[in-house]
Amino acid sequence: MVGLLDTSKRDTEGQCGMPEHVPDRTAERTERAATPEAAAGGARTAAPPAVRVEGLWKTFGEQVAVAGIDLDLPAGQFVGLVGPNGAGKTTTLSMVTGLLRPDMGRVQVAGHDVWGDPAAVKARIGVLPEGLRLFERLSGRELLGYTGRLRGLPGDEVDKRATQLLDVLDLAGSQHKLVVDYSTGMRKKIGLAAALLHNPEVLFLDEPFEGVDPVSAQTIRGVLERYTASGATVVFSSHVMELVESLCDWVAVMAAGRIRAQGTLAEVRGDAPSLQSAFLELVGAQGRDTGESLDWLGGAR
Amino acid sequence: MSAGLSGAVGAADPVGAVGSGTTPVVTLGTRALAPVFVRLKLSLLRNGLRQSSGRTAAYVVSVVFALLIAAGQLLGLILLRGNDGAATLVVVLTALVALGWAMLPLFFPSGDETLDPSRLVMLPLRPQALIGALLAASLVGIGPLFTLCLVLGSAIAVAHGAAAVVVSVFAVPLALLVCVALSRAVAAANIRLLTSRKGRDLAVLSGLVIAVGIQFVNFGVQRLNEAGGLSALDPVADVVRWLPPASAIGAVDSVSEGAYGRAVPQLLLSLGALAALLYWWRRSLVKLMTAPDGSTITAAAGPARKESASGLSGLLPAGRTGTVMQRSLRYVWRDPKTKAAWVTSLAVGLIVPLVNALQGNGSIYLACFAAGMLGIQMYNQFGQDTSAFWMVALTISSTHNAYLELRARAFALLVITLPYSALVTILTAALLGDWQALPEALGLSFALLGAMMATGAVASARFPYSIPQDSAYKNVAPGQAGLAWISILGGMLGGALLCAPVIGLTIALHASGANGWTWLVFPVGTAYGALIAWAGVRLAAPRTASRLPEILTAVSKG
Repeated sequence: MVGLLDTSKRDTEGQCGMPEHVPDRTAERTERAATPEAAAGGARTAAPPAVRVEGLWKTFGEQVAVAGIDLDLPAGQFVGLVGPNGAGKTTTLSMVTGLLRPDMGRVQVAGHDVWGDPAAVKARIGVLPEGLRLFERLSGRELLGYTGRLRGLPGDEVDKRATQLLDVLDLAGSQHKLVVDYSTGMRKKIGLAAALLHNPEVLFLDEPFEGVDPVSAQTIRGVLERYTASGATVVFSSHVMELVESLCDWVAVMAAGRIRAQGTLAEVRGDAPSLQSAFLELVGAQGRDTGESLDWLGGAR
Repeated sequence: MSAGLSGAVGAADPVGAVGSGTTPVVTLGTRALAPVFVRLKLSLLRNGLRQSSGRTAAYVVSVVFALLIAAGQLLGLILLRGNDGAATLVVVLTALVALGWAMLPLFFPSGDETLDPSRLVMLPLRPQALIGALLAASLVGIGPLFTLCLVLGSAIAVAHGAAAVVVSVFAVPLALLVCVALSRAVAAANIRLLTSRKGRDLAVLSGLVIAVGIQFVNFGVQRLNEAGGLSALDPVADVVRWLPPASAIGAVDSVSEGAYGRAVPQLLLSLGALAALLYWWRRSLVKLMTAPDGSTITAAAGPARKESASGLSGLLPAGRTGTVMQRSLRYVWRDPKTKAAWVTSLAVGLIVPLVNALQGNGSIYLACFAAGMLGIQMYNQFGQDTSAFWMVALTISSTHNAYLELRARAFALLVITLPYSALVTILTAALLGDWQALPEALGLSFALLGAMMATGAVASARFPYSIPQDSAYKNVAPGQAGLAWISILGGMLGGALLCAPVIGLTIALHASGANGWTWLVFPVGTAYGALIAWAGVRLAAPRTASRLPEILTAVSKG
């Protein structure tokens, strides 16, 4: 265990050990808020963190995208990775999911090394990347059939699951249309369906709500909440603080390639009125006023 | 001029238009608008150049090249003056250029930003004024200059006498205007298609039309040479000289011959065509500017795709092999970029051996060309996936997975290439009447196909590169051209070397006079091809499995 976090969120490690199957989430939240230390001791050995990152580095030429980060993301929770554009969120998620080779560092997912034991990791994770294409010349249903079979699931099972996912995600009406003709929200939903098809332990979503209409966002949210309720872990990146605040149990704040804070929502928020203001303080973007430079705007016409 | 210009600029500015809500609405005429649009066109040209030095260089080279061709054409046409075939040639050339103008917006939908009327919808402009201004702006550029040179040269080539010169003064601008208006009218009528996904697919496929078209033009020119020159075109020219805008040039020729009765209707036809085109263009513009944007409609509608899986997937093996084969084969048909590459390979692979056989100087061994052209499709397999390769990368966790993936892709290719190269070989043998050599040619073809599969698999794993999806004419992302050349050239050389044993066997059998035994090349070549393809895929599999992130990075650049 490295545990060299430069923030003061030491006690967050206790959160790694939350029991995986928690039937009542409100009860869980209350308990955690009340006695964070109580859960820490005994449970830590029981469940390994869903994701453990140690000293992860990535540079592109001169530019340092990820500067030696350490992360411990607890299992069975909704984890938000937040940060401004260019903070290194996508690079981090790409390295954690094995899509990008890090310059240095170690990544473990569900107790298995991503680069040492890819078979064990790839079977356990689902991924929805940002900025990468899908096989868009397949219809939605064909895409799910293709992904499921590549994952080694039996054909009948794939078709059954695909039908259910298409129904739940409200894509049944467009299942025979090519993905290239889908809207942004539909693409995110079909990507999510493809990521969920093999019932992964840990789901990584890069900006799953970016450019998604409110109806689709609510659908995605419902599916994800149901999924984490079963004990699975969702790790997603976003820069919409309200969303993270309302969805996540656990938050990691990233800026300029470093982790600025990580811990439960309450811990990261601290005394600040909202996650938004806590975040702005953490990334040092406060007090930027528009001043008087736009004084004509809204003036006499 | 400057005063008129600045006033027009202010009115064309959307902010200015909104601000002038309280003042009486002033709609500008063509006279005020034309300079604005011409300036806009020039600014767009200039800004396009500013984007990168590479682009500037490419543009300057293409401009110089186009100007040289245009000048050469002008000169050539002037030299043609007095020649018997001149009248025929000029009308056919003018008609061809007009055809090019009609196709241009379909092939390069994003080529000219001022071409897109939906960008002008928010401006308070009347269609009539807009058309005049847009037409004026359309006359700026290399294309119109090129056309002007051609039409002018044509007129000079056939104009004899003062009356013909007078008619030329009228006919040359008329022909140019018809060309430009034709292009604009086609673009405006198809703008909904051109801004949709189907239109972009069409544009990507257009590269193919050009590639295959060149082969036919090449073939046609050869036939012309054999048939004794331009007089073979005379029947065509008799029809074309009545088609606008060629009829305008035809009128010049008619006047030169003194056939005034023919010249008048010819000129009127071109004039009428110009009026009709402008009317059509105007109607399309009005419709475009008042009807809702096409992009909002296409997302909702669109015919559903029926599952065609039952027939195909029943024949394919289960598991990863069948799944990957099905996806690859679907992409051959559905992905415009892949389709274009395939059709080019199929067409060129067929045309080269057959045309040579038809012309009597062919050899059955040229049929191997088909196998070679089709084998190229195995190269850069993962680049063809684009960044969607991540979906594949996430499911490859062992060398065995990678082996199955590559083998399935090779199988998918062989489903098409094996029967096709056999067919081309048989057709070539039939045309040449050389049935004796058929078995050995087949054996050589299959050995070459196997070698291409082997080197293609290794090159796919070792030298992947991005294929830009939006352009019909770029097959390599900037900065990766070297990689692509290494991959394909090295692979083809390697493929030829790998075939050496089979080639050696064929030569040895012929040299030793054992012509009765040349059929042996067929089983030996087939077995050798299968073996070597298997070995290549085997060799490529561990490289693929260990380089997944690097491959993904390489193919995600487009």
